[in-house]
Amino acid sequence: MSSYFTFPRRIAAAIPILTTVLICAAECIAEDEYFDYEREHWAFVERGDWPVPSFDDVRHQCWVRTPIDAFVLRKQLERNLRPSPEAARETLVRRLTFQITGLPPALQEVEVFVSDESPNAYERLVDRLLASPHYGEHWGQHWLDVVRYAETEGFEYDAHRPGAWRFRDYVIQSLNEDKPYDQFVREQLAGDELNPEDHASLAAAGFHRLGPVRRNAGNAEVAFSRNEVLTERTDAIGAAFLAVTVGCARCHDHMFDPIRQTDYYRLQAFLASSFEHDVELATDDEKAAWRVASKAVEAEVKRIKDSLKDAPAEDEERLLAELNTAQAKMPLPLPTISSIKNDAKERTLIHLLERGDPEKPGELVTMRPPGVLLPEGAEGLPDDIPTPRTHLAEWITDAKNPLTARVIVNRLWLYHFGAGLVTTPNDFGINGGIPSHPELLDYLANELVAGGWQLKPIHRMILLSSTYRQSSEPNAEFHAIDPDNRRLWRFSRRRLAADEIRDTMLAIAGTINLKAGGPSVIAPVDQELIDLLYKPSQWEVTPDEREHHRRSIYLIAKRNLRLPFMEVFDQPDLQTSCARRESSTHSPQALEMLNGKLSNQLAAAFAERLRREAGSAASDQANLAYRLVAGREPTEAERMLSTEFLASYSLREFALAMFNLNAFLYVE
Amino acid sequence: MLGRRSFLKDSLCGIGSLALVSLMRDEQLRAATRNPLAPKPPHFNGAKAKSVIFLFMAGGPSHIETFDPKPLLNELNGQRRPSSFGDAKYQFVESDAKLLGCQRKFARYGKSGIEVSDLFQQTAECIDDIAVIRSCHGHKVVHSAAQYELLTGRTVPGFPSMGSWSVFGLGSESDSLPAYVVMPDPDGALEAGQPMYTNGFLPAVYQPTMFRPGATPVRNLNLPAGISLAERRRTVDLIRKLNEAHLAAEDDEFAARISAYELAFKMQTEAPEVFDLSDEPQSTLDLYGVGKDPTDDYARRCLMARRLVEKGVRFSVVVSGGGPGNKQWDAHKDIEENHLRMAAQVDQPMAALLKDLKQRALLDSTLVLWGGEFGRSPEAQGGKGRDHHNLGFTMWMAGGGVKGGQAIGATDDIGLKAVESPYHFRDVHTTILHLLGLDQDQLTYPHLGRDERLTEIQGELIKGIIA
Repeated sequence: MSSYFTFPRRIAAAIPILTTVLICAAECIAEDEYFDYEREHWAFVERGDWPVPSFDDVRHQCWVRTPIDAFVLRKQLERNLRPSPEAARETLVRRLTFQITGLPPALQEVEVFVSDESPNAYERLVDRLLASPHYGEHWGQHWLDVVRYAETEGFEYDAHRPGAWRFRDYVIQSLNEDKPYDQFVREQLAGDELNPEDHASLAAAGFHRLGPVRRNAGNAEVAFSRNEVLTERTDAIGAAFLAVTVGCARCHDHMFDPIRQTDYYRLQAFLASSFEHDVELATDDEKAAWRVASKAVEAEVKRIKDSLKDAPAEDEERLLAELNTAQAKMPLPLPTISSIKNDAKERTLIHLLERGDPEKPGELVTMRPPGVLLPEGAEGLPDDIPTPRTHLAEWITDAKNPLTARVIVNRLWLYHFGAGLVTTPNDFGINGGIPSHPELLDYLANELVAGGWQLKPIHRMILLSSTYRQSSEPNAEFHAIDPDNRRLWRFSRRRLAADEIRDTMLAIAGTINLKAGGPSVIAPVDQELIDLLYKPSQWEVTPDEREHHRRSIYLIAKRNLRLPFMEVFDQPDLQTSCARRESSTHSPQALEMLNGKLSNQLAAAFAERLRREAGSAASDQANLAYRLVAGREPTEAERMLSTEFLASYSLREFALAMFNLNAFLYVE
Repeated sequence: MLGRRSFLKDSLCGIGSLALVSLMRDEQLRAATRNPLAPKPPHFNGAKAKSVIFLFMAGGPSHIETFDPKPLLNELNGQRRPSSFGDAKYQFVESDAKLLGCQRKFARYGKSGIEVSDLFQQTAECIDDIAVIRSCHGHKVVHSAAQYELLTGRTVPGFPSMGSWSVFGLGSESDSLPAYVVMPDPDGALEAGQPMYTNGFLPAVYQPTMFRPGATPVRNLNLPAGISLAERRRTVDLIRKLNEAHLAAEDDEFAARISAYELAFKMQTEAPEVFDLSDEPQSTLDLYGVGKDPTDDYARRCLMARRLVEKGVRFSVVVSGGGPGNKQWDAHKDIEENHLRMAAQVDQPMAALLKDLKQRALLDSTLVLWGGEFGRSPEAQGGKGRDHHNLGFTMWMAGGGVKGGQAIGATDDIGLKAVESPYHFRDVHTTILHLLGLDQDQLTYPHLGRDERLTEIQGELIKGIIA
C-alpha cells in the first residue's frame, strides 16, 4: 500500500554517524527546512540493501546458519570475539518455550526434544511453539506494555472502561494468526474508519482509548481536558509505531530531533475529529431490560445525592457509604466495544500552542506527518477529509517508511535477546542509541516487508540462528572486551518477567487455568489494598475461584491497583508506554516469595503434586522438583542438599524454596 | 544427560565448603556495594538533611485559617471580590460567589513573632524552627491532578514521586527497613490513589512501602500461619545453599539476590521491633497524644516516623485525611467544622514530632515538610465552606538545614494569589532535593527519549530558606 504522503529519497550511509551537534534548530533554520545531518540521521533514511557477509574460514562458514549469524559474526571478529558454543539441549528447550509462550516446557516435551536425534528436531520444536496459542498470549503482553494498555481510566475515578478487554483479545488473536504487522498497525490507528462494521477492527481502534483520562466533578476545563487527551494519544503513536519522542516538541521545537513544534501539532491534527465511542453490542430487548434495571439504581443514587446536598457535615460519611452501596447495584454493563469514531462537526481546531498551553493558541495547523520524513515543502491534508487516521496509518505502514519496520524488528530482537539492536526501542531519534548492527537491522526490516509484514517468519529466522542458540556461559576474556554483550558473543541470561513468574508457579503447582480470552479476572487481594482505592467497590472479586488461576494477561489491568506480586517484579506502571521492563533485585521480592499468600498457597499445591507424582522418596521428589522448576535434573550437590532438607523438614517448605531458586527464576 | 558443566560445578563444590564459604563472603561484600539501595554520596557537600518526613494534609488545608492571616477578608465578608484582585478559576464556586471571612484567631508566637491561627497552637510553639512559605502555587485546582503535581511534579500519573527520587539519589541508610514509607490515613484513600506515591518508571527497588494500620504495617513481613521463624530460617538457608551451588564467579546479579534474601530475613526479625511502640516511655506517648482521642492515630504515625528516621529511613509520608472529602481537609461544606476537627487530630502530634526530633538532635538532619495539594478559596462555597484554590497557599518546612522563624513570600490581602516571591511545587521540590544534597539536573533517569527529573522544567531554590 502506498500513501498520500511520500518519502524523501535519502540513502543510508554505511555507518551511522552519531551527531553530537546539539542545537535548537529553529533558531538557525526556517520552518520546514532541515539540515542535511537531520535528514541523514540513520533512522530517517531509506533502508539499505546490504550484502550478507561471507567467510573464508570453514569454521566460520559452519557456524553461520542464517544471514543473521553472518552479520553477527563479522561484528564479533572485528573485536577478536568468537561465538559461544551451542547451549545444552535441555537449556534450549526451556529457553525457547519460555521465550515463545511465556510458560515452562512440560516434562514430556523436554524429554522428547532432548532425546530426539533427528537433524530437524530443533526446527520442528520452533515451529510447534510458534503455532501454539500461548505465543499470542505471551507476545501480546509485550505489545500491551508498548501501547500502555490498561482497562481503567486512572486518576480519581479510575473508571473501568466497558469491554476494554476486547483490545487485549484482539492483540492475542492477531498475533496468533500472524496478521501482517502493517494491517495490525492500520487497524489500531484507524480500524473504525477502515471497517466500521467489524467488531475486531473497532476493538483495535480502542488503541486510542488505552491511556489515562482525567475526569472530574465541577470545573470541567473542557479545553484543557481535550488537550490532555489529544496529547496523550499523540505521544502514544509516536512511541509505539515510530519510536520518535514527538512529545518533546509539544512545548518547543525538539531539543535533539528534527521535530519542529508545528510537526507535533500537525501529527495531533490527525486525531482532531476523533472522539470516544462505546459500541453497544446488545439487542434492543437486552437494552430495554438493562435500562429498567439501571433506572431503578439511578433513582436511588439521585435520592441519596439530593439528600447529600443539604446534609449536615456529620451525616456526609454515612450518606456517601449509602451512595457507594447503591452505585454498586448497577447492573453489569452491556457488551460493549471501547472504540473511537470521527465526528467532523465537533472537530477540535488544532493550533500551535505556546509552551503547550491551550490558553495560548498560535496559528492553526493542518494534518501532516513530521516534515523531516517528507519531501521538501510537502503539503498537509485538508481538514475535511473523512478518514484522517487512515491517511496517517497508510503513511506509517508504507513500505518506504524508514522507521516502522525497523522499529518493530528491533522490538522482536529485544524480546529475544534482552536488548535491542537499538537499545532505546522507543527512541530512534538523534538522542537515542545507534544500532549495534545497522546492516542487520535493515536486513531484518527488509525481510519483514518483503515477507508481507508477517512476524512469525522473522521470529523463526532469529530462533533458528546460531546466534540465538549460543550458551549463556560467562567468558572473562570476552567480558573484558564487550561487557554489555552488544556483539552477542553469548546468550544473555534473563530473569523471568512478573507474568511469567506467576504463570509458571501456577503451571508447576498444577493449578493453572489455561482458558483463553474473555472479560478480565479480578483476583482477591488484601483488603488493605482495596481500601487504598478511592472507590473500593470497584474491586469486585470474580466469584469463580478457578478464574483466579488464569494466566496473568487475563487479570484486570487496573491503573490504581496493581497486584503487589506483579509490581514487585517490575510490571510496568500502566500509565505510559513501556518498551523494555526493568529487572530489579531487592528484598521485597524475597518477602513476597517467602511470605506472600500466592507463593505459599502454590507451594502447598506443588508439594501435593510432588508427593502424588514422585512418591515418598526424597530423592525422587527432589528430581521431579528440579525437572519442573529448572527443566533439568538436580546436580549431585543439589540433590544432596535437597534430600538432607527433606529428611527433617516439610515438603511444603522445600516446594517454597524451589520457587526461590535462580534456576527457576532465570532462563539461561 | 548431565553436561560437563554440571560436572565441573559438582567438583567445585567438592573442593571444600570452607573455600566456597570464604568466596561467598567476599561476593556478599561486593554485592553490598552493588546493592541499588546502598547509601550514595550526595551531589554536593554541606547538605544537612538525611531524611524527609512529609506531613501530607490531604484535600487541601486552608491557608487563610492556618498560617496566612487576612484581616481584610473579614472586612470584605459577604461582598464580591474586588476586581483589582484579578480572576481565579475554582472547581465549583462561580464568579458571583461572596468572600468569606475567617473566624479563627491569630496570635504571634516565638521570638520571630510569626502569626499562626488557634488551630495550630501547639505547632506554633515550634515556630522558631519553622519556615512558613506563604506563596506556594500549583497548576491544578482538582484533587487528583494537584496531588500528582505535589508528589511527582507532573499533573498526570506515571512519574516517580519525590520519595522514590530521593531514594534513587541517596540510597537507604537502613538495611532492615524499607527506604521509603507511606503511612496513609486509615480513614480511606485519596483521589490520586497509589500512582502518586509510586516509583513511576524507576526500577521497582524504589517503590514505596505502604504501611497498613495495626501492629503489622508491612505486607509480607509476617510469617505465614503455622511457620516458625526457625523453620523459615532453614528454608532461607536451603535457598541460599542451592543458589550458591549454582553461582558463577563474579556474578553481580546472583550475588545481589543472595543479599536480598538475607536482607529480607533481617527485616523480618528486626523491623517488628521498630513497629512496636511499647518500648516508648509514657512521657513520649503523652507528648504525641498516643492513646487519646482524637490524636491517637496521627500521633502513632508521627511517632513511627521518628522511629523510622532513627533507623535511617530516607523518606516518610504521614497522611492526614482520607476517604470522602470531609474526612480530608477538603472543606467544601463547612470550613469551621472541618478544620477544627482535622486540626485537632494533628496539631499535638506534629508539634510533638518537631520537639522530639529536636531533643534527640535529629531535627538538623530531618527535613519536615507540611502542606497539601492546594489551599482554599477566599470565596465561600455554599455559605460556610471553601472551594479548592491553587493560586496561593501555604506550606512549611522545618529542620534539615532550614532556617526557622521566618515567613517567606506572601499572598495578596485576601489570600487569592501568591504575589510576593511565588514558589511553584517545582521550586519546593528543588529545595527539598537541595536540602538533601541533590541537584535537580543530576538526578535524572531516561524515559521515552528524555532524561526525566522530578522538576520537569528548571525549579528555583527558595531564597533565604537555608540556615
